[in-house]
Amino acid sequence: MNKKETRFFTIADYEEEEQWLREQHRSGWKLVAMTAPCFYTFESCEPEDVIYRLDFKDPEENEGYMDMLKDFGWEYVGKCIGWLYFRKAAADVESQEEGELFSDNLSKAELVSQVIRFRMLPLCLIFFCCIIPNLLRFFHGEMQGPFDLFFGIFFAVMCVIYVFLITYCGTKLSRIRERYEDKNR
Amino acid sequence: MDEKIERIYVPMTESGFYILFCLQTPQHGYGISQQVKKMTGGAVQISAGTMYGALSKMEKDGLIRFSHEEEKRKLYQLTELGEEILGMEIQRIERLYRNSKGEYIDE
Repeated sequence: MNKKETRFFTIADYEEEEQWLREQHRSGWKLVAMTAPCFYTFESCEPEDVIYRLDFKDPEENEGYMDMLKDFGWEYVGKCIGWLYFRKAAADVESQEEGELFSDNLSKAELVSQVIRFRMLPLCLIFFCCIIPNLLRFFHGEMQGPFDLFFGIFFAVMCVIYVFLITYCGTKLSRIRERYEDKNR
Repeated sequence: MDEKIERIYVPMTESGFYILFCLQTPQHGYGISQQVKKMTGGAVQISAGTMYGALSKMEKDGLIRFSHEEEKRKLYQLTELGEEILGMEIQRIERLYRNSKGEYIDE
């Protein structure tokens, strides 16, 4: 039996997402697929404590990487806009490091930098090069045609969403990165 | 030697040190992690993503190179540059150790 869930996690909430997926598996639902931006497909299974981990790889993951994660006992579940999903049974994990993809703060901070570079910057680019100029055009009355109001409202709504996303993700990501950079070893 | 490489790697992270140390003989990522876990009594453990990232970076910087393949696993080994960097790091750690015992170093 399958179920579909809709849940939105921003690019800064990947640690919460991992926790949520673990809870789903613990209550008998294992992840089978993700569809952007916020749709999850689960399959019913035996309830089990399984650790989920997300990594961000862009532009493409390569074979060597997948093989190495497999060596370390990680099962590849799937990918969704740059995010790769892996899982491993908690029973197979003997130490904290075996339950993580990254064992030192340097590589944890590096993951955040990747997310900022490949997801946060494009977001800002769309905001400043598409949404803001279109909104300005609307307010200056430059838009002609019957869909004026529709476009105006559309870009205004997008503007609010993007301002929220950029502020929220920007603050949270830099806080995560600082947390790890502070105690580099 | 390239000063930039030296600046990046000396001093290096614990994971970095153990990876270079293990690659004095050809080894693959998972093998390194097992060896490090064993030789440190579990005190230092390197996770999969950290291992992959470190190996890719070191290969790119010329500290290690691809040696051969065994059962689809890529084995790496130190290059001359890698040996040199490892040597510098070992000297640094020896100095730290001797100083920590209250010894002075006169050269």
